[in-house]
Amino acid sequence: MISFDVDEKLAQQLERVRTLGREFLRPLGIEADRKGEAIPADHPFFETAWRLGIGRLGPEEDEEERPRSGERTAARRGVVLGEELAYWDRGAAVALPGPGLGAPPIRRMGTPEQRERFFAPFRDPSRPRWGAFAMTEPGAGSDVAAIRTLARKEGDAWVLDGAKTFISNAIRAEWIVVWATVDPSAGRAGHRAFVVEKGTPGLEDMRAEHKMGLVAYESASFTLRHCRVPAENLLGGERYYESRAGFKGAMESFNATRPMVAAMAVGIARAAYDAAREFAREHFLLSRPLPRHRRVAEKLARMARKIEAARLLCWRAASLADAERPNQVEASMAKAFAPAIAQEAAGLAVEVMAEAGVRQDHYVEKLYRDVKAMDIVEGTGQIQRIVVARRLLGYPASG
Amino acid sequence: MIDLRLGPEEEMIRETGQAFARERLRPAMREHERRGSVAAEVVRAYRELGFPTMEAPESFGGQGVSLLSKVVLLEEIGWGDAGAAFALEGAGPGLRALVELGERDLCGDLLADPACYLATIVDFAGRIAVREGRLEGRFPFVPASPKGPVVVLLPEGIFLCREGVRVSRVEGCGLGASGASEVSFDGTPAAATCRDPAALVRSVAHARLFVAALLVGVARAATEYAMRYAQERVAFGRPIAHHQGLAFLLTDMATAVDAARLLLWRAAFAPEAELERLSAWALAEAAEAALFVGPNAVQVLGGHGFMKDHPVEKWMRDIRTLAQLAGGRDEAELVAAECEAR
Ligand SMILES: Cc1cc2nc3c(=O)[nH]c(=O)nc-3n(C[C@H](O)[C@H](O)[C@H](O)COP(=O)(O)OP(=O)(O)OC[C@H]3O[C@@H](n4cnc5c(N)ncnc54)[C@H](O)[C@@H]3O)c2cc1C
Repeated sequence: MISFDVDEKLAQQLERVRTLGREFLRPLGIEADRKGEAIPADHPFFETAWRLGIGRLGPEEDEEERPRSGERTAARRGVVLGEELAYWDRGAAVALPGPGLGAPPIRRMGTPEQRERFFAPFRDPSRPRWGAFAMTEPGAGSDVAAIRTLARKEGDAWVLDGAKTFISNAIRAEWIVVWATVDPSAGRAGHRAFVVEKGTPGLEDMRAEHKMGLVAYESASFTLRHCRVPAENLLGGERYYESRAGFKGAMESFNATRPMVAAMAVGIARAAYDAAREFAREHFLLSRPLPRHRRVAEKLARMARKIEAARLLCWRAASLADAERPNQVEASMAKAFAPAIAQEAAGLAVEVMAEAGVRQDHYVEKLYRDVKAMDIVEGTGQIQRIVVARRLLGYPASG
Repeated sequence: MIDLRLGPEEEMIRETGQAFARERLRPAMREHERRGSVAAEVVRAYRELGFPTMEAPESFGGQGVSLLSKVVLLEEIGWGDAGAAFALEGAGPGLRALVELGERDLCGDLLADPACYLATIVDFAGRIAVREGRLEGRFPFVPASPKGPVVVLLPEGIFLCREGVRVSRVEGCGLGASGASEVSFDGTPAAATCRDPAALVRSVAHARLFVAALLVGVARAATEYAMRYAQERVAFGRPIAHHQGLAFLLTDMATAVDAARLLLWRAAFAPEAELERLSAWALAEAAEAALFVGPNAVQVLGGHGFMKDHPVEKWMRDIRTLAQLAGGRDEAELVAAECEAR
């Protein structure tokens, strides 16, 4: 049955995120941007958040992921809460502790033993922890099949050699899910995922990149130089890759994360809209019958309409995921649409505020810089269109 | 006969401007951005070339050069570093206003001091009011050094303020090299005033063309960079430029820049009766083209575009900032619409 309502539990979660956002995420995001440095891992806020259970895995999350009875709701909760987190600050939200993008592959591909082992630190309330997901390389981003990080079996270990780039939270991560290939000529079939734990010798040259926006979390590049990973850290075990392509595991996790990233773009767009509307009200831009003010109202109306449309695309993709139905097209549609409208909304917000909109002490200026990344991460807008065109138009797979 | 090629004079100015942009501005771009100012020797070198007032009347140091030459030059400077343009030029977008006010000495003073340049405010949105010859109000952002004088273009006319202006430093999204200020007036007396509507139209048009030329320059820089990158970067077995999704995007970017430049040249050539409309078109088109190009140039570089290792993220910010100046696209579109209604 169609419904646009959130249930009571989600309403409560939303309220908690709102408080967290207003009191911490927004101010911390702004502070990081001013300083040009990520929120430090030892910031007391992370400790408090962790103690409150934010990002930390508990029995409840497992229950939501695989409920024994009743319907699955994790994906819908995810997009609604993701939008709210990003509304307050997308950068600070990604900086929050937790397994992050590393969670979906471990959940989907990991053996029960691996899930237990790698998630254990994320159940420990004593101190915050982070996880990371490393696919992108300096020479391979969109063309995921072209990754060159090499994995070789040596006795009871795997040896990794290669380089990864733009990996969120990698510097502070407890472990990184690293994608490598056992045979570069085999394309996707050669892919394997390894959990590389913090301090593993050969995990080297960690450095933070300087970004235009989203400064609150670190995007890191690193090298894997003869990095020995125990055989039991091959995600899913060798059997997994005999029966299914490892690549499929990665792509499936994108179907889960894409609606979420799209929802975060919606959150940024809504933040831009609210800031612009507040400015317009404060400066009486809506109440005077001048053509100039009419333009402001039209811009706000356009922003509001696009935000709602993008949000509904996210909700649809998530609903399908919860129903365990294929959602590749819908996830990519949401991911192609939302970042583009969010970019537009941030630009319109700047224009509503005129010259004031480009000042760094106004939040929309930061939003304009932050939002660009949303059309790049988790598959660029172009790649989303290819995914959709393949399904809708029979567009050839080689892209 | 119709001919859209530049003449020898404009071509020479273009080449000199290009060389200056390539040798003096590009290499120092990040350094100037970090410092929030342009190195004095770079400013001096530019002013020695006679560029800042070359299109002004002779009494202002003009060299009988056309406005077309000026916008051709400014495109090159924008290509090099649009933020630097304000410091290099001294009077910049306010030059025509100073001419209308007859402020020859002030113009000379500005050019003598490499750290001093004019703040030009264009406000048709009612943020600054005039009461009995005194200015009132606060203007949030203008790329200018805090120590320079301020020229204000309002529906009532042109006002020059030298004292009683409160100027405080602010940080902007882009144009870092120019530095930026918030300017407040509190019953500020105007040192000079011109209430001639035709003079106002000429002054606003000059400011619009100044900004439009810089926008075309930055947009061209970003397009060229993205095109080159896309021909080198390989994904899915070929240069990304050879994937149709990106090829079409890049060709649209290149086309948008060329269309905007032609409107800019057209406006620089406009007879006085057409100046208002054509200069509004030029700014509206340049802003639209550049605002399309900026984020898409970042997009073409993917994640690399979002990092400060490449210049496209800076250009995207510079464009966003430029597009708000001289009334921005909004004001330009409104004026163009008013011209239709006449
Ligand atoms: C802030 C940020 C955080 C990130 N976090 C992570 C992370 O945690 N983990 C991780 O693994 N990666 C991460 N990334 C990397 C991100 O996933 C990649 O940047 C993205 O996949 C694009 O790859 P690329 O940068 O190599 O661009 P490229 O693949 O080189 O693409 C360049 C351009 O070519 C276009 N293009 C490519 N192929 C085609 C085609 N066939 N048709 C049309 N156009 C095409 C692209 O759309 C893009 O516009 C992050 C990036 C950023 C900016």
